[in-house]
Amino acid sequence: MQIEQKLLNEINARLERQDANGGNGWASTRRLAAGAFKDMGLPTRRSEAYKYTPVAKRFTDNLSLENEAGTVQATRALEQLDGIHLSTTNGLLDSVPAHLPSGLTISSLVDAYQGNRVFVNDHLSRAFVAERDAFSSLAAAAAEDGILIHVAANTAVDQTIVIHHDNVSSSGLVQPRLLVVADKGASVQIIEHFGHAGASSAFENRIAEMMVADGGSIDHVLIFERSEEATFVNGLHVYQEGSSHYATNTITLGGGMVRNNLHFLPDGEECETHLNGLYIARGSQHIDNHTFVDHAKPNCESNELFKGIVADTATGVFNGKILVRQDSQKINAYQSSKSILLDRSASIYAKPELEIYADDVRCSHGATTGELDEDALFYLRARGIPAEKARLLLLEAFARDVVDLIKEGSVRDYLYARLHAILEAHAS
Amino acid sequence: MLTIKNLHASIEEDGTEILKGLDLTVNAGEVHAIMGPNGSGKSTLASVLAGREDYEVTEGSIDFDGEDLLEMETDERAREGLFLAFQYPVELPGVSMSNFLKQAVNSVREHRGEEPLSAGDFLKLMKEKAALVHLDPSLKTRSVNEGFSGGEKKRNEIFQLAMLDPKLAILDETDSGLDIDALRIVADGVNDLRGEDRAFVVITHYQRLLDYIVPDFVHVLVDGKIVMSGGKELALELEEKGYDWIKADTGQAV
Ligand SMILES: Nc1ncnc2c1ncn2[C@@H]1O[C@H](COP(=O)(O)OP(=O)(O)OP(=O)(O)O)[C@@H](O)[C@H]1O
Ligand SMILES: [Mg+2]
Repeated sequence: MQIEQKLLNEINARLERQDANGGNGWASTRRLAAGAFKDMGLPTRRSEAYKYTPVAKRFTDNLSLENEAGTVQATRALEQLDGIHLSTTNGLLDSVPAHLPSGLTISSLVDAYQGNRVFVNDHLSRAFVAERDAFSSLAAAAAEDGILIHVAANTAVDQTIVIHHDNVSSSGLVQPRLLVVADKGASVQIIEHFGHAGASSAFENRIAEMMVADGGSIDHVLIFERSEEATFVNGLHVYQEGSSHYATNTITLGGGMVRNNLHFLPDGEECETHLNGLYIARGSQHIDNHTFVDHAKPNCESNELFKGIVADTATGVFNGKILVRQDSQKINAYQSSKSILLDRSASIYAKPELEIYADDVRCSHGATTGELDEDALFYLRARGIPAEKARLLLLEAFARDVVDLIKEGSVRDYLYARLHAILEAHAS
Repeated sequence: MLTIKNLHASIEEDGTEILKGLDLTVNAGEVHAIMGPNGSGKSTLASVLAGREDYEVTEGSIDFDGEDLLEMETDERAREGLFLAFQYPVELPGVSMSNFLKQAVNSVREHRGEEPLSAGDFLKLMKEKAALVHLDPSLKTRSVNEGFSGGEKKRNEIFQLAMLDPKLAILDETDSGLDIDALRIVADGVNDLRGEDRAFVVITHYQRLLDYIVPDFVHVLVDGKIVMSGGKELALELEEKGYDWIKADTGQAV
């Protein structure tokens, strides 16, 4: 039996159980997604978007939705950060925080759905097109529940929301759903941390949707540090209304195979979109960042910076697509991807993909892949700094460039320390 | 302090010989000026002394304070007290001046068997040495050389020289690109650092610098060799006559 069919059978069995228990409308959104997944199937070797990242290979025949193996607790970090701390098990809230600032709602997605079906339905699948993304469709079909974070109009949540993805199955597929909605003029900062989870070999395939209404702002940081046993497909779908601001910083330090599918749809004028990312791939890690900015409306700006360091026999992949539609004049879109190869056995595939149909736009892209700058290294050594320390200084400077774009100081400090520890081993 | 004998060096990549039997002896406390036409090998000499791997020494020897310099790595040479002020200082985006200098100073100190400097002492030292070359204190918080003006980059080299307190300093065209005031500031800084235990090799095209930093010896480097040496008056003569007469005198192709 094909793995796709097996998973669909499992999903259907669960949906039937839910229907038999009185059911709820949530199931219908899942059925739609299941239908889309059924039509698409998993990407094969021949699909261009997955040419370098055979993530479907990780769908081994024994992979299942039914995780009976128990969970593993991940290493926690960022606890000292002054914010609203949430912890999850397989992407679902362990508990709903008792006291939240007014205007901020955090709840289970299904609870929210039952409470206000119109609201949830209206915000789900704004940027996410089920027919185009097999992994997110599968996650949407399988998600028994998820998390909703909702900020009411004109509310500025000044405490950062920190989601500690603390507990994860020791194996099997984990497919949660996250929905973040910032209403008109609302602003919020969200940090997600996927800590190192020992021997967990879970395949986390998540769908996250973030929606920023007129004049709103979402700042998002994701730090992924699971072990080399882990697989992660991170489907992030961002929808922006006019004059809104969205920034994400996707920091991938762990995982055996990671695919960040980052989609942005600025669907109003005067939007600002910042997509930044950093990855360090070592050992036999495979880390892939696929970004897609769909400039559907004029007068918008997007800024993209992705950096990677690849060592040992690891692989880094970057694909940055920018689409400027025909009527989207006065777009400023900047993209830069830079990577450093530390070993001959490591590989990098980087490709910018600009499709521009409007004529009055400013777009630039640059992609560089290389080794550490020999002149810089010589300069440092000529000042007495030993070679390993000089290399470490340069690697840290290279990587910090992305971390420096994170607003929260304690998060930057945490990442500086992690970068130092990781890169130290690769500077000799 | 430095004894170079019959030094031959080629470009690693294609084997082209640049230094073709160069001899030079520099004693502690002395200031030597090296002049010579473009492309004669002055920067190559500086690079070979600093240990740049783009060049291969095929013949000859370099003794630095009783040790075989050619056996040492670049960073070892620096810790042993050899300093090169670069003709083209390198920009290091993301590496802050203070972090860079702290690591450099403490590497040198560790090598000398000294304790690392405390944060307070380090700041004090930075302040004192920056003042020597009138370097704007705010530059210390910036990335090394990034966005520095040409003159600031050159002053930054002398600032680093002062911080690292070397035995032998090689200045490769530190004067080029400086305005007249900055030239005087840099020269004053260097004069301040002159002393019995320290030697300087000053590579320059202009006699003007040597009005300020008065050398004990002037050497002319042509086609990879020192073809003439003299006192400070040789610089004046070169300024006046150019290099052609040397070519004629020594039978060198320039
Ligand atoms: N790494 C290299 N690769 C190729 N050619 C080189 C290299 N280094 C030096 N050369 C060549 O060797 C010659 C000497 O160069 P060098 O930089 O030492 O001259 P210089 O005397 O310092 O000149 P200038 O007064 O212009 O600074 C030049 O012809 C130069 O092009
Ligand atoms: Mg030169």
